[in-house]
Amino acid sequence: MSSFTLYQPRDSGLHRLHPLTKLTLTLCGVATAVVLPGFWPNYLLFALFLLPLAAWGQIVCPLLRAVWPIWWPFVLSLFLVQGLFWPGGTPIVTLGPLSFKQEGVLFATAMAGRILVLIGSFLLLSLATRPDALMNALTARGLSHKLAYIILAAIQIVPRFQAKAETITAAQQSRGLETQGNLLRRARALLPLLGPLILSSLMDVEERAIALEARGFGRRTLRTSLILLSEQPWEKGVRALLLLATAVLILARTVLALR
Amino acid sequence: MNLVELHNITYSYPRTAQPALRDLSLAIPQGQFCTVVGVNGAGKSTLCYLLAGFVPHFYHGELTGTAQVAGHDVAQTPLAEMAADVGLVFANPFNQITGARFSVREEVAFGLENMGIPRAEMLARTEEMLALTGLSDLAERSPYALSGGQQQRLAIASVLVMRPRLLVLDEPTSQLDPAGTQEIFALLAKLVRRGETAVVLVSHELEWIGQHADRVVVLDDGRILADGPPRAILASEMLPIPGTRYTQAARRARAEGLAPAQGELPVTLREAVAFFRQA
Amino acid sequence: MQLSLQDIHFAYAPDAVALRGITLRIAPGEQVAIIGANGAGKTTLIKQMNGLLKPQQGQVLVGDWDTRRYTVAQMARRVGLVFQNPDDQLFKQTVADEVAFGPRNLGFDAAHTARAVTAALEAVGLPDVANAHPYDLPSSQRKLVALATILAMETPVVIMDEPTIGQDGRGVQRLGEIVASLSENGRTVIAISHDIDFCADHFTRIVVMAQGKIIADGTAEIVFSQAEILAQASVTAPQIARLGAALGLPGVPLHVESFIAALRAKKGET
Repeated sequence: MSSFTLYQPRDSGLHRLHPLTKLTLTLCGVATAVVLPGFWPNYLLFALFLLPLAAWGQIVCPLLRAVWPIWWPFVLSLFLVQGLFWPGGTPIVTLGPLSFKQEGVLFATAMAGRILVLIGSFLLLSLATRPDALMNALTARGLSHKLAYIILAAIQIVPRFQAKAETITAAQQSRGLETQGNLLRRARALLPLLGPLILSSLMDVEERAIALEARGFGRRTLRTSLILLSEQPWEKGVRALLLLATAVLILARTVLALR
Repeated sequence: MNLVELHNITYSYPRTAQPALRDLSLAIPQGQFCTVVGVNGAGKSTLCYLLAGFVPHFYHGELTGTAQVAGHDVAQTPLAEMAADVGLVFANPFNQITGARFSVREEVAFGLENMGIPRAEMLARTEEMLALTGLSDLAERSPYALSGGQQQRLAIASVLVMRPRLLVLDEPTSQLDPAGTQEIFALLAKLVRRGETAVVLVSHELEWIGQHADRVVVLDDGRILADGPPRAILASEMLPIPGTRYTQAARRARAEGLAPAQGELPVTLREAVAFFRQA
Repeated sequence: MQLSLQDIHFAYAPDAVALRGITLRIAPGEQVAIIGANGAGKTTLIKQMNGLLKPQQGQVLVGDWDTRRYTVAQMARRVGLVFQNPDDQLFKQTVADEVAFGPRNLGFDAAHTARAVTAALEAVGLPDVANAHPYDLPSSQRKLVALATILAMETPVVIMDEPTIGQDGRGVQRLGEIVASLSENGRTVIAISHDIDFCADHFTRIVVMAQGKIIADGTAEIVFSQAEILAQASVTAPQIARLGAALGLPGVPLHVESFIAALRAKKGET
């Protein structure tokens, strides 16, 4: 794999949405997940909002496959920690000195739902939006093009870093460096492995900077873009509506909480 | 007015005692294909960096003399402005990829985006350049999924698409395998025939230079040691690098009385065959 | 030390087969150049020789050591492998320290390490920069430092991956001298190189690889006279060999000397 992006190309309505609309969807999803109370709402949000969107984008399976490995560790630790260590509470299952408390399990279920929506929202965005298109939309709204460059370059650099680290390990082992074995030995191997990684990366940065300048990266003129961002006329309205609905929700929750 | 006018250039990198270029003067007319040869450390890369403005604007250091390139006074012109008129390609194909574009086509368009070229024109120029460099079929691929030779062609395309008046290439084939080297030299030969841009090429591939270049400049210790048409320079005794094996063989044959004492020594295989046939 | 590869097969993935049955025996003191296009399996093959990769089928023996039973660090006592890019390994503050890293890993004592470092820096022609920071040197010299770090380990087998890249004529000449002197001391030298003239000048045995197989293996004269096989591996013959063939000279001259001799022989005939 040559880049670290999750993007799944499809010819779908979701994919054709303007990146800002999808970003708004995500942020609203996140905000809603944080403020929605209780046990069910977040699961409903996931099932009735995120999943249909994913179906629209033909990415239900990739979404579930991407959500699961991130979500289950949270679920496991939440249920263990909250279920077992809920202060007081009503035991439902008892195993020797340990017992699962009803309140803890309920709380864990609610939290897990919240996390499900958080992860799901971000992954939906990543799966259906090209990262460069998103950055493009953001630079058009005033994000610094240098920051956008750094974010995009970071996405692609991970697999290259891994490959480089493997080569360096091989090169140092060939010089008699033991990288396996006890902790002390591994600790001693750290410098010979990290040193070349950092030094050679710094040297690459210098060449990369020259290559970027030679392509006019430092120019202050107005930039254009090869990627065409299209926007259906109703998208602005949808974004406004989403933001409004989320704002109302937050407001309602705050008022309720204050009472 | 020449495209490049260097007068009495002396340049030292910061914190170095010895200048990398010493009292160097050089004029290159429009459209010329000029090559630069010399041993490591002779100042070849520094000359490339000067032509593109990275000396002094990126490396700083101390520059004296005057350098006019494509109508710009190099010392006074910001790098971003030089970039539109002077393209630079160097040895490592990997580090010339921006890393922020996901397809070959977008990589080529990067420079045009920075220049603010309207999208329709950008598309047309990008496609034209992809075709010229033989990358059209790879346009949708990730730049990282290309071979070294293809990546280097991509680097050349990405710079040429900006329509520089001068293209500077610093050992573009030194890290490539023979197939990749072939690809690059075939492309360069095509560019030279088009004659739209002047080219300054630093390379050790003397046989290829002998076939295609208009001119060879020999750098040694930061100075110009010799300057002239390829055959005269590359077959000369005073060349500080070994000539092609053809030249070496012909010189030895001549010294041993196995070849006529008069006439130019060969640089390329074809010239060598002719040389020894008549002998 | 004898190096013996017996019917080696290796694949990085089911659809990425790199070696398809390699059998190769290399005697102590031999100078072997491995040539072939990118992707032919050359680098995979040399990684088998020092145990970085283990054969999935077949056996690699370095002397009496089976690579599958030793770690790479242990194999480093017998096989020194110089990587293509010096920046994948340099990390010490001085060149001398850098060169001493390998010998110290192998447990050389202080006096032995000092001797090995001095000899290695002499060999690559860089005794003057022993106290310089490796990254203050130009890349061609960093590459020679990387070679010195392996030479100092005094392994009976030395393998180099593309040693001539980035070197000028003088540097290539220096590399040739190193190959010759290693060989004189009974150490085996193996190199991967695209620089055909370098291979023809300094290596007596040429191994040609294509698609994970050895398609030719013999003296430089024999291998470089087989035009079809070279074409199959997309490599070209050395300049002098091409000239000799174009002129119809007897034998396969590879260097200027043998070319002159062949020219003289032909003149004598006519």
